[in-house]
Amino acid sequence: MMPLRRCVELATECAVMRSRRDSAAYRIAFTYSAAFALATIALGSFVYFTANAAFMRQLDARIEAESNELVADYRAEGPGELRETIATREGGNVKNRLGYAVFDLHGNRVAGVLVTPRPEVGWQRISFFDAREGVERARALAVDLSDGTRLVVAADSEALEHIDRTILALFAVALFVVIALGVVGALILGGYLRAKIGRIGATAEAIISGDLLQRMPIGTRNDEFDQLSRTLNRMLDQIAALLDNLRQVSSDLAHDLRTPLARLRNQLDRALSGPEDARAQRAALQSAIERSDEVLALFAAILRISEIEGGGVRRSFARVDLTALVTELCEMYVPAIDDNGRQFSWTVQPNIAIEGDRELVAQAIINLVNNAQVHTPRHSAVHVQLTEEDRNARLAVSDNGPGVPAKDRERIVKRFTRLESSRSTPGHGLGLNMVAAIASVHRARLLIGDNAPGLIVTLIFPRVDA
Amino acid sequence: MLTGILVAEDDAETAEFISVGLDALGQRSVRAATGEDALCLAMTEQFNVIVLDRMLPGLDGVSVLRRLRAAKIQTPVLLLTALGRIEDRVEGLEAGADDYLVKPFALSELAARLNALMRRVPEAHAVTRIEVGTTSIDLLKRQVYRCSRPITLQPREFRLLEELMRNAGRVITRTMLLERVWDFHFDPQTNIVETHMSRLRAKLNEVCANDAIETVRGVGYRMRRDA
Repeated sequence: MMPLRRCVELATECAVMRSRRDSAAYRIAFTYSAAFALATIALGSFVYFTANAAFMRQLDARIEAESNELVADYRAEGPGELRETIATREGGNVKNRLGYAVFDLHGNRVAGVLVTPRPEVGWQRISFFDAREGVERARALAVDLSDGTRLVVAADSEALEHIDRTILALFAVALFVVIALGVVGALILGGYLRAKIGRIGATAEAIISGDLLQRMPIGTRNDEFDQLSRTLNRMLDQIAALLDNLRQVSSDLAHDLRTPLARLRNQLDRALSGPEDARAQRAALQSAIERSDEVLALFAAILRISEIEGGGVRRSFARVDLTALVTELCEMYVPAIDDNGRQFSWTVQPNIAIEGDRELVAQAIINLVNNAQVHTPRHSAVHVQLTEEDRNARLAVSDNGPGVPAKDRERIVKRFTRLESSRSTPGHGLGLNMVAAIASVHRARLLIGDNAPGLIVTLIFPRVDA
Repeated sequence: MLTGILVAEDDAETAEFISVGLDALGQRSVRAATGEDALCLAMTEQFNVIVLDRMLPGLDGVSVLRRLRAAKIQTPVLLLTALGRIEDRVEGLEAGADDYLVKPFALSELAARLNALMRRVPEAHAVTRIEVGTTSIDLLKRQVYRCSRPITLQPREFRLLEELMRNAGRVITRTMLLERVWDFHFDPQTNIVETHMSRLRAKLNEVCANDAIETVRGVGYRMRRDA
């Protein structure tokens, strides 16, 4: 039986192997090494076969030349001369010399020292007996001579086989090195990737379990991992900001609702404990209803902002004739603003259209004009201007009232922001926030500036052709 | 025979709130709690108007509405919804709703809308002239007379007066006016309705002193038949 410890070791090994097999990092690294090994094999095979074929051709050419020379010799000077030539060649101490044999019709060797049976005519591989090395293989060419004898010229293919073996051995070593390097490289690369990704995963786990301040580790190399970490960190910052905003909005909402609800409660309380005069009670109830309407309106505005920020309204976007809309709204507003004791004027360029939601754009303009008349003293001038600027539609609502200090201009766009100076005016601090949401859903820019004196709020919409 | 108002609403509290309110207005109401019930009742009995909740168990409100319209039942339908989204409103109106009201709503708003729906003059009668009390308007020539004297109105004031006169004797709410006169399906939270109304009123009262437009506090406005 296997001892328990060995069992545990094996199981651990198995788990490690499995986790490597399941790891994309290792899989990619190993696949890469395997591809290199395959490439090495392919290259080896190519070199081997090409070299082999080239050497073979060279050998054949040598045999053929020799054979032709001997045949010419025979034709010119007869069998005796041939035998002599062969004997001379065999006698010389030449390296890589060729083997010769001449057979008569009965298969008897009549010249040459090549010990081999009488071969067929043509190219072939033959075996011959060498006194020093035993049976060897050779490449041979046999041709018939006019007297019926057969001339055989052969070359020992041992040299060729030696070259082949060398090539194969070299490539075997190369393949081994490639595979070994590949495996080691794959293990290192896989481990590196896993460690990098593991760190990101561990951070994500920590964030999931509630530590929202954790951020992805960023190295010094600015590689893909660092870039990914940076992007993830930006996303986390954004989420954290949104969560913060949500918390802020919830507490602001609770705070903003408390006031009207408390007033409502007091009113109902007074109605209940006051004189039992039916008319007075009716009046108290009436104003209680108005107070609750205020609360409902606040909620409606919040819901509307969320709907706009959700972006779903984009689906119903159509061409909006801004020139017509602004003119219409301004004409509609003249009585209201005049009655409030302010001067209202507008200049509108013709043929300006944008892509959007007519009601939302109208709402934005109304909110801006409304702000201009609520936050300025009587006899102020309010001006609306629609112009085309660099293929954009520029809509500006300006006044010559007290304006907004530069430090507060960014803040007033936020939800529920009401500056101290406007505490006494009606409103719930959502008007500009809604304008910002509408601008964003229309991919328009919202600029708040100094009209010197007064405030100028500008919306810059991307224009479409009228 | 007309048997009052069908209220298709699955939430018991809302249904009760609507029924009691309608009772107080002298309207009999029949309640259906599922889409199938609502469809069945609407197909077999004739109602003055149907109040249809969008979210009903079983068959949803918009499907009920589509089937009714497919069956050529043209009873006016007021769609109730908890969703105030633009797309939902468009979907409801395309399905054949005559009016659309987002929850939560004031009973006075519902009552005003139901009144308008029940007494709506079918479009077939192309009205070109409306006369209420001492006021008359000519829709073709866009002329207004009060106590036989012409009055000049701005286009928006004319639309406002027309809407009030078409519904003479009935309350029109501020939101209804925003929808019908300004084509705003949202509350811009401004006093444009009030401002235009006071201008219109001033112009009407310039020629005859008695007030033709009555303000119903917290609800809306009403054109008096007798002034």
